[in-house]
Amino acid sequence: MTATTDTAATRRHRAQIRQRRWAPYLFISPFFILFTCFMVVPIGAGVYLSLTRWAGLGSPEYIGLDNYVRLFGDQSFGASLANTAFYTAFALAVVLPASLLIAQALDARGLKLRDLFRLVYFLPVVLSPIIIALIFGLIFDGEYGLVNAVMEALFGFGGVSWLTDPWWARIVVVVLVLWRWTGYLTIFFLAGMQAIPRELHEAAEVDGAGPVRRFFSVTLPQLRPVTAFIAVTMLVNTAQIFEEPFLLTQGGPGESTLSVSMFVYRAAFQRQELGYAAAAGVVMFAIVFALGRIGSSALGVGRTR
Amino acid sequence: MTLNRRGLLAGATGIGAAGLGALAACSSPTAGEPLRSGRADLTLWTHDPGYATFFTDAAADAGLVGDSAWTYSVAVTSVAPPDIISRLINQAVAQRPLPNMAGLELGQFPRMMRDGIAENLLADLTPLTDALGDGLLKTQPYTVDGKVYALESDNSVSVLFYRADEFERLGIPADVATWEELLDIGAQVAADTGQAIGMVSNGGNTEIVQGYMQALFQRGGGLYDADGDLIVLSEENIEVLELMARGVSTGALLPLADPYGSATAAALKESRLIATVMPNWYKVYGLEANVPDQAGLWRARTIPRYANGGGIASTLGGTAFGVVKDQVLTDAALDFLQRCYLTPEGQLARYAAGAYLPTLADLYDTPDFQNLTDPYLGDQRIFEVYGAAAAELPVFYQAADLAVLRDSLGGPILRALNGQTGAEDALREGVDAYERQVSP
Repeated sequence: MTATTDTAATRRHRAQIRQRRWAPYLFISPFFILFTCFMVVPIGAGVYLSLTRWAGLGSPEYIGLDNYVRLFGDQSFGASLANTAFYTAFALAVVLPASLLIAQALDARGLKLRDLFRLVYFLPVVLSPIIIALIFGLIFDGEYGLVNAVMEALFGFGGVSWLTDPWWARIVVVVLVLWRWTGYLTIFFLAGMQAIPRELHEAAEVDGAGPVRRFFSVTLPQLRPVTAFIAVTMLVNTAQIFEEPFLLTQGGPGESTLSVSMFVYRAAFQRQELGYAAAAGVVMFAIVFALGRIGSSALGVGRTR
Repeated sequence: MTLNRRGLLAGATGIGAAGLGALAACSSPTAGEPLRSGRADLTLWTHDPGYATFFTDAAADAGLVGDSAWTYSVAVTSVAPPDIISRLINQAVAQRPLPNMAGLELGQFPRMMRDGIAENLLADLTPLTDALGDGLLKTQPYTVDGKVYALESDNSVSVLFYRADEFERLGIPADVATWEELLDIGAQVAADTGQAIGMVSNGGNTEIVQGYMQALFQRGGGLYDADGDLIVLSEENIEVLELMARGVSTGALLPLADPYGSATAAALKESRLIATVMPNWYKVYGLEANVPDQAGLWRARTIPRYANGGGIASTLGGTAFGVVKDQVLTDAALDFLQRCYLTPEGQLARYAAGAYLPTLADLYDTPDFQNLTDPYLGDQRIFEVYGAAAAELPVFYQAADLAVLRDSLGGPILRALNGQTGAEDALREGVDAYERQVSP
């Protein structure tokens, strides 16, 4: 009887140990299941699809690396890469510094209507992109646009084809990016600035540092983690830019504002070339991933100070 | 009552299972033995509320479906034009319920022409259309390998809409015979008053190329021939682009980004644009919508011919309806579509519902249509114009790579219109770009 009880107790004990051993895996499994279903499998399927020719129905036809070979000889893809590089460079070289400067202005002591300014700068982010595109279309219309009308009134010339000239159309797209995202990034910089201890500024002031010196010697170094995060986020987001050129110019005139994301969309949903679109998507993924890693590494994102 | 963790989990699981059961019960059976008669609750996808209203009303119209073996009702889902094809394909791949009928916009249909998509998804309507022969207009753009897969809803006949009051004031004859003459007059008007007698699109590639297509169809040109081969570099095509560029350079043709956009509305409102070649539906969506105050001032006429040939009509846009094949209600949907689209009663009802022009050529001369007048066009007997135009409606073809061609031609055509390059060079550049991109 005793032996039987002992055996049962041992079995129960072993079962409890087994349960405890598996419990942590069970608790963390939802993440891995979801990650596999919604990240690993789609990425794997995308890579496989990029090696096929497929219009959407029927079985994909395996064609090896043909899509990639075609892609790298496709001038449209080259144009979309160049345009995307232009948008990304602009975002990093103009939008980022502009938002930093605006945040600095909003952080000034004694600034009146600070909340109103914040609201105004943040407003473009919450507006519908479709409304924004319509408004920008009205402002920059070549015949009836506000900008041309103002230029005509002030300087006597206003015949700029903002949206129908390849060069000006690119400029309008980046102006839209600037208008839309500067306020959003400003909020991040402002939050970072408000976390900088006042004593550091006061100490620098006592040491005779003026506002410019304080900005470069106190504000910027203290903001480095925030700046790095914003820069990498902006880099990755702009490299995947879609809404602005799609809604404003539909990639035109010609292909002068076509971005890589639009190229992927166009191949998949306007031309039914899903394999080719997947190949472009894989290339875009590789580029964005590489840029993101390089940016994170160079700027030290996630490193403890 | 206390709720412990175990109870909460059990409850959540129960609710989830019940929800799944409810969802499964909501799905409608789409596969099985075809229904030969009885109640047919059809499902329809379309982007246009006008079609939704027409089909919903038609299902209950005894004059149309009274003697049918089926009793119809129609449930409509509103879907944007590009999404209709995407969702049809997605649903088919996922083996989820498909609609019985789908409205396919003309410019989107080429997507269905690739790799047998139309053949695999849609019922062949050729047995219905063959009986009508040439009497049924505009079947060619929806034809794949000799089979018709969708029926056009509206001929979209392009005519010249013009401001009768402005033409009279400026001394422009309303019966100018050729485009060349009209452009000369337009150049003089532009120089004198800044007004334009037509517009070209300088917006997106689609609008630019569609505007060009409308002009070249009238001249007898096209983008593809019946075999799907490219014919962009034809003499007619070059001539048309040269003429359009000339019109833009003299100011006779006004470049506007979007024929339905705000700039065009402004041009119409301030009477800067006093004439334009557009399809019949532009009267509703372009003129009446933007300048209702100009009711009675506009008229329509057939388009002046080109001096070197071509007709007096063109076409732009359109939406055709196809029937999804191999479903329980496929036969019912085919019967319903035939009654709505291929009978005189159906065509008259369609015109009454949304001013959709008949696709049966004979109907234009019948009193039912000939006696119709249009108050917006000064009570003009409009079918005298549409009838003459429909008699010369140009035939054109589409191909699976049309979207590639549009993107390839858009930029060069725009440069030609702006005078930055010659017409032939522009078209050649577009063709080169196209040939580099299309799959071998």
